[in-house]
Amino acid sequence: MDLQINGKAVTVEAEPEMPLLWVLRDLLGMTGTKFGCGVGECRACTVRVDGQAMPSCLVSVAAVAGKKIQTIEGLGAPGKPHALQQAWIAEQVPQCGYCQSGMLMAAAALLEKTPKPSDAQIDDAIVNICRCGTYQRVRAAIKRAAGVKT
Amino acid sequence: MKRRTLLLSAAGAAGALIVGWGVLPPRSRLGRGSFMLPGESEFALNGWIKVATDGSVILAMPRSEMGQGVYTALPMLAAEELDVPLSAMRLEQAGADTIYGNVAILLGSLPFHPRDEESEDGFARTKVKAGRWIVSKVARELGINATGGSTSVSDAWQTVREAAATARASLLGAASLQWRLPIEELIVKDGVISHPSGKSAGYGEMAKFAAATPAGEVRLKNARDWKIIGRPYPRLDVPHKVDGSARFGIDVRLPGMKFAVLRLCPMLGGSPGAIDPEAALKMPGVERIVMLPAYAGSTAGFAVVGKSYWHAKRAADAVQLQWQQRPAGALDSKRIASELEAAVRDRDGHVFHSVGDVEAAESRAARHIESWYSAPYLAHATLEPMNCTARVSGGKVEVWAPTQVPEMCRSVAARVAGVRPEDVDLHVTLIGGAFGRRLEVDYAAFAVRVAMDCEGSAVQLIWPREEDMTHDFYRPMQAARLRASIDTDGAITSLRIKSAGDAISPRWLERGMPGLAGPFDTPDKTTSEGLFDLPYGFGHQHMEHVATHMGVPVGFWRSVGHSHNAFISESFIDELAFATKRDPLQFRRDWLRHSPQHLAVLELAAEKAGWDSALPAGWARGVAIHESFGTIVAQVAEVSIEGGSPRVHRVVCALDCGVVVNPGIVAQQIEGGVIFALSAALHGVIDIADGVVQQRNFPSYEMLKMRRAPRVETYLVSSSRPPAGIGEPAVPPLAPAVANALFVLTGKRHRSLPFV
Repeated sequence: MDLQINGKAVTVEAEPEMPLLWVLRDLLGMTGTKFGCGVGECRACTVRVDGQAMPSCLVSVAAVAGKKIQTIEGLGAPGKPHALQQAWIAEQVPQCGYCQSGMLMAAAALLEKTPKPSDAQIDDAIVNICRCGTYQRVRAAIKRAAGVKT
Repeated sequence: MKRRTLLLSAAGAAGALIVGWGVLPPRSRLGRGSFMLPGESEFALNGWIKVATDGSVILAMPRSEMGQGVYTALPMLAAEELDVPLSAMRLEQAGADTIYGNVAILLGSLPFHPRDEESEDGFARTKVKAGRWIVSKVARELGINATGGSTSVSDAWQTVREAAATARASLLGAASLQWRLPIEELIVKDGVISHPSGKSAGYGEMAKFAAATPAGEVRLKNARDWKIIGRPYPRLDVPHKVDGSARFGIDVRLPGMKFAVLRLCPMLGGSPGAIDPEAALKMPGVERIVMLPAYAGSTAGFAVVGKSYWHAKRAADAVQLQWQQRPAGALDSKRIASELEAAVRDRDGHVFHSVGDVEAAESRAARHIESWYSAPYLAHATLEPMNCTARVSGGKVEVWAPTQVPEMCRSVAARVAGVRPEDVDLHVTLIGGAFGRRLEVDYAAFAVRVAMDCEGSAVQLIWPREEDMTHDFYRPMQAARLRASIDTDGAITSLRIKSAGDAISPRWLERGMPGLAGPFDTPDKTTSEGLFDLPYGFGHQHMEHVATHMGVPVGFWRSVGHSHNAFISESFIDELAFATKRDPLQFRRDWLRHSPQHLAVLELAAEKAGWDSALPAGWARGVAIHESFGTIVAQVAEVSIEGGSPRVHRVVCALDCGVVVNPGIVAQQIEGGVIFALSAALHGVIDIADGVVQQRNFPSYEMLKMRRAPRVETYLVSSSRPPAGIGEPAVPPLAPAVANALFVLTGKRHRSLPFV
């Protein structure tokens, strides 16, 4: 399988029906994308495929071969954090942190499509589960990164 | 000489001099430098603090980071007393010595009413003092290392500050000796020691001399001199949690590592019967199958080992087998609910609190109010599912565990592998949510068993969400009957509460520390906390609990007994307010008038919520106040009905948690506790039928999401008493605050959970 991950070409031996989540985590050792439920409900596994946020536990690797995949490891660069990551730090969003990669991917997809999202648009885009209850800070951080007043 | 100096200095700083027999403190927890890991260019000054030649300071970290911010709060304590910037602090996992055990958590389990220490009854006061003294001595000797009970900061408060202050004193002593200058003339700023004459050296330079210099006089700082404690310093772990680099237990990666997935008998307590693994073992990427006995209170099953989670899971699903029901018969939550009610009616329990003469008050009363309440089993549903990585090689065992109890994990790993605890190397990882689930050790036992069959290879055993949700140690189901007497003036003259539900602590000891489990269950405070320890000034009270043992695995769920009991007690208090035609806030003010501490919290919440101000049409307010883990929290919830379900818009929280180490972290925990509690109150229920837990994954165990999450506001009452808990206290008052608002909205009183 030839994949495009975070701007790099990656070749991996995997069954075509293997979910992208496990290709990333177990074959490629990219553990930033998390496993939470396996049924596309918690969204801890969210990555971006051609810009769109999707639950990688439900996406087969064959379906994304050749498409542009972005994972949390590709958001921002060493020494140059993404505006969302800076906002996440400023608002002190993470507690345990396990859901945050998925949150950031969903937020990145939202902001690229909707640079100044309303509360309702944030509600629609952020369907990720956070057991630590960081929702209001996620909202504040998205608005901060977007330059939207609270 | 040194220890007495430290004691007197610390006591002097606290403003109270302690003398006399019976108050000798527990054995020092300072430890020795040899307790810390030897490091290149690092000098250990005691069991907690190392200083490196580059000036960085390493703190032995005994507690696990599960989101509650201990990886920041504890180094803040050390940095404060050492006079180094927080950025100079690094962490190293604490070793196995008992100095790292948690004393506060055992003190918190004593079944005393919070007001007993101030009681007019001299016997009650002595009982509490003696009880606390004995338990702190015993706890110090046992040295049980557990993260929980909202005790990490309160347990570290004296210990870490004293260790850091002692290290500072050694560093200054070393400089004094090196420079032949009086120690009183030395100044420390940002880890640099200097003298007006011009001499200057960083801690890094002095470290090796300090390691050989005994600390002289040790003083803790006065609160007015704090530069770090009390400030909202950004958390040290946050940057790693926004770029994917933070490693949780499930992210451990080792060369040649294999992945394993488990499948347990769907019937709790059941076991595998006839099994045919042939088809599964033929599948690509699959290596072997390992049968798993029921370790540490769990249920038996098997694990499949393969080259990835997906390969192993596919194969695990393909294994053909029969499952056998639990020998004692299928568990059923509906049946248990009626058995609990019968237990309240027919069985005698343990009396946790008794004041005055409730029988007499009841017979005199003008009228009575009686209500039955109940709460269901709940799952923890941590977002990172249960997992553990282990390697067994040549009689040595290595374990990487997202755990709240490292020494208990080490101990079970040794038992399963048949080695000594000293032969087990245990690494504690970051935890993706715990809420009490990781106080258990089943995930470690299973992983070690699988690793034993893969000699030499590291194996990561992962629980699919379905296995995690259906094989939890659930928050126990509870039933309670409350009865109050009201006189002709509308005053509450008595409150009688009888409850029934499983005891958790004896079961937990049996599972994780069998050597400490007794021949019979002693009364477990978790069953009655939140019912027997109420602050209201009712003259006659009687709180009794019937501890049951229903067979469903039960464990500690964030705020434990308080989580269901506060819903019960604060809802009933509200019923009494309405029954006596009083505003619920005023009713609470009246019955808390003897407790300025509670009043201060209640008033702050009411003020910030604008209790008397108008709300949008279709909205209502509910209030609840509850004390748990040493902290008093009052919440006012603003609720409406949207789409046929309760919609909580705003929750105003006021709290008194003693000295606040990091207000930013406190706010996070309050926000988190509210969301956690609201999810449970709205949707949380675990049903068990034919022994099988019916809720298997998130769609059927619904979680609150962004769309319906309320705005949470946190307000702190200023306090100078030592820090109390913040991880759990925001949970208990939430369900009743919402239930009380719903009563105003709909006229319907919720006496069971969940609301939807």
